[in-house]
Amino acid sequence: MRVLAAFLLLLLTGCSVAGGSASGRTTVTFRLWDQQVAGAYEESFAAFEKQHRDIDVVVQVVPWADYWTKLPADIAAGTAADIFWTNTSNFGLYADNGHLSPITDGQQAGWTRSVIGLYTRNGKLWGVPQLWDSIALFYHKDLVAKAGVDPATLVWNPSGIGDTFLPAARKLTVDEAGRSADRKDFDPKAIARYGFNAALDHQAIGGDFVGSNGGTWQDGDRFDFAGEPETVAAIQYVVDLINKHHVAPSAADTNTDGDKTLRLFTQGRLALFQSGPYHLKSVQEGAAFDWGLAPLLTGPAGRVSVVHGVAAVASAKTPHPDATAKVLSWIGSAEGVRPIAAGGYGFPGVVAAEPEFTAYWQRQGVDVRPFLDAANGTTFPAPAGPRVQAGTTAALPILQEVFLGRLGVPEGLRRAQDAANQAVAE
Amino acid sequence: MWSRTVANTVTYLLLGLGALITLAPCLLSVQTSLKTPQQFAAASPFAPPAPPSTGSYAALTVGEHTLFPPLVITMQVVIVVVLGQLTCSVLAAYAFACLDLPGREWLFRVYLGTLTVPLTATLVPRFVLVSGLGLRDTFAGIVLPTLFGSPYAIFLLRQFFRGIPADLLDAARIDGAGHLRVLRHVVLPLSRPVLATLLIITVVTHWNEFLWPLIITSGERWRVLTVAVSALQSQHNGDWTLVMAATTLATCPLLILFVLFQKHIVRSITITGLK
Amino acid sequence: MGSRGFPVRRTLTGYAFLAPSLIGVGGFLLVPVLVVIVLSLHRWDLVSPARWVGLDNYAGLLDDLAFWQSMLITGMFVAIVVPLQVVLGLLAAVLLDRRLPGSVVFRTIFVLPWISAPLALGVVWRWIFDPSDGAVNRLTGVRIEWLSDPDLALPAVAAVTVWHYTGYVALFFLAGLAGVPAQYHEAARIDGANALQTFRLITLPLFRPTTFFVVVTSLLTTFQTFDLVYAMTRGGPAGATDVIASLIHREGFVEFRMGRAAAMSVVLLLLLITVTVGQQLHFRRRTTYEVS
Repeated sequence: MRVLAAFLLLLLTGCSVAGGSASGRTTVTFRLWDQQVAGAYEESFAAFEKQHRDIDVVVQVVPWADYWTKLPADIAAGTAADIFWTNTSNFGLYADNGHLSPITDGQQAGWTRSVIGLYTRNGKLWGVPQLWDSIALFYHKDLVAKAGVDPATLVWNPSGIGDTFLPAARKLTVDEAGRSADRKDFDPKAIARYGFNAALDHQAIGGDFVGSNGGTWQDGDRFDFAGEPETVAAIQYVVDLINKHHVAPSAADTNTDGDKTLRLFTQGRLALFQSGPYHLKSVQEGAAFDWGLAPLLTGPAGRVSVVHGVAAVASAKTPHPDATAKVLSWIGSAEGVRPIAAGGYGFPGVVAAEPEFTAYWQRQGVDVRPFLDAANGTTFPAPAGPRVQAGTTAALPILQEVFLGRLGVPEGLRRAQDAANQAVAE
Repeated sequence: MWSRTVANTVTYLLLGLGALITLAPCLLSVQTSLKTPQQFAAASPFAPPAPPSTGSYAALTVGEHTLFPPLVITMQVVIVVVLGQLTCSVLAAYAFACLDLPGREWLFRVYLGTLTVPLTATLVPRFVLVSGLGLRDTFAGIVLPTLFGSPYAIFLLRQFFRGIPADLLDAARIDGAGHLRVLRHVVLPLSRPVLATLLIITVVTHWNEFLWPLIITSGERWRVLTVAVSALQSQHNGDWTLVMAATTLATCPLLILFVLFQKHIVRSITITGLK
Repeated sequence: MGSRGFPVRRTLTGYAFLAPSLIGVGGFLLVPVLVVIVLSLHRWDLVSPARWVGLDNYAGLLDDLAFWQSMLITGMFVAIVVPLQVVLGLLAAVLLDRRLPGSVVFRTIFVLPWISAPLALGVVWRWIFDPSDGAVNRLTGVRIEWLSDPDLALPAVAAVTVWHYTGYVALFFLAGLAGVPAQYHEAARIDGANALQTFRLITLPLFRPTTFFVVVTSLLTTFQTFDLVYAMTRGGPAGATDVIASLIHREGFVEFRMGRAAAMSVVLLLLLITVTVGQQLHFRRRTTYEVS
């Protein structure tokens, strides 16, 4: 009997920890995938809770690797957060199936226009812009100077005409004996330092190369990348950087490890790192050398950057819509997103808070203008549509083979597109 | 005499080789866990850490990646499941072995039949059922499906209980003891070996359980150790010193228990093999 | 006793004892089997409403390359792992059974992997096989992309699986060897048989039941391998290690095609039931033969 009692006690304690506010305050849950930004939200919500003593906002972090596989399950089981972060690839499915509440906030005029555009679907706005990203080129100052490369003027071209980027990348790639990749005796099997971060990364590499070659990725909700010669040529160029010219790490290292190139860069083993503001903090904290930011590469169609925005959406099934609306309105205000901007975590979705982000990085000695210029220049749309995530998931293993060099680019893209569109159609 | 020496030498060589293959990965991972990321990047993975660093362990115990909450939850899950499963299995096995019931044989055959149902095949429906009960991402959701006894345990216990002489049970019954008393004072004391076996197998299985907690929980609230290690690995992919410290910490408690009780455990495990 | 009928009170007591396990066996083993069949007739992504599609999911499986590839890979995986595991386990048991000083220490070491979580060990091996930072490539000095080469990934995962379970298998054989009466060996030795002959003629036939148990357990466990695959490759590269459990998990809980995942589960269920029943029939015949 004692055993049974102890057992029941454990069962009860196990359950009781799950219970929460007995204080009569309403708990609003907020979910995101970024541990660093979560700290900024805690700060923001602390200020909010001072004004609204009856509301308690709880921040949950679900890491990126699990985020999109947990969300549908949580939506179906009713365990989704009241407000959660989403990207463009994923919100469409939830919006179309009535799981989100449309945004009717009066502060819209103050939000970043491009992000509003990304989250408008069927004539309604579904998310409050939180962060936005464009792409620029991080570079290792010493390495670039020693090789005599000016990172701000690099031009790539699949035909090779006027291509200044590939020679620069080859000069910047060095094997363990110190020979650069433009020398005949360069050993591609023992590379000590890479020139560039070519990899299967749509936001920082793929979309930008395709866009700056005048190609397309999607046509409406369907994928359309295998039939466009510009798209195929751009991807071929990127894959060749890895497997033919050996100026980028092998896809065996980068396919399953999205942070591999970031780590190589902060270890001083990668000279040019094309990426977004989401890596500013990690580079700042990790790099023990001088680094700078240049505009992203120029292609035949100019400088074209993927612009992507993160938005906060509200679950339609929230048991306390009033409190949720108040929190949502708060994170749509300049004051609400201020900790994100002032802490240097990302360009805020509220325009009025933007100077604080720029100022933070100025104090760190980093000029983030290349990101602003990229966002104001020609941009390439981030993936969108209700089934785009399913399509991307289906295409992924095939594209991984393409980047590993095991599958030819034209054929691989064709197969990836078929698989993706089949998943979209389901 | 000579051939005996040769045979012994060969035996030791082979055993030593086996032990090396078994241990080397574990020792390498422990060694890596004691390096700083800089030491790891700079030197061969076989070079001992100089000097050893406990930075990763600090981060995983008191630091930002603390594995303490997952450890507590794992222990709670294991204790609740083990007690629940053993209690329910003992009761059922007693009924099957010692009580005369209508439909007993038929029902037992159904129980036996479920042994052939692979867990993989019931993953999707179990998820749908537990979610439908509103138990997704709760403690109850993790433990419920395995709480009420396992057909395997019931089968094993029933075989054992049937070996207990009927006279012993009848004598106790004639003395006026109820079934629960007979179970507690006659059957259970006689069944210590098989109970110990089940205890060990259940503890090991549920301590190491991964797939079910992975799909039935989200986020950090109800993360068990295996899920926490997997999440850490995908979040800090390439930060091998930290990840190796996490795998070491996650496997240590059971290994220590095993080494302490290894004699009993080995004997117990083999009982199931002889059935 | 049966002829006196079943008094109500005693029946009630009996079923009270069975009640908790009935919830478990019924609610979490039998009901799911029914639910999985119903689910397999629907199309459902958890987010949109479920739709009745009849046998569409099964028809879809017929020309789903990934599914057949997964079946093939699972078969190959089992065919590599089970024999290796059994043979190496037997070898270890025979060596341990010589009971030289220190045997207990070796036995303890061999079982350590089995006690450890496969997930955690998979992560350790993922590092060991890492193309740049891994121990294997640093040791040999040759860069081999173990886990992203479709030809090497499955053997690598299979080797780790064997490594993980061999000690456990050895324990059972050890128990089986201990059950062979010593006088048989002595009799054989007096007859002039050498060690190998004794082993082949006396030991092996005597613990056929142990072998049977080990093979069936290994087979069922290996068939459902998930944790090691998830930690090492997630079924990649290009589906080269996508064993059936990994495929069902991905269909159901990554791509959220619950109906298809359910249809795959039903096929797996039928397959394993066939295998188990077949094994049992085979074993029953074997036993009768041995007893007679």
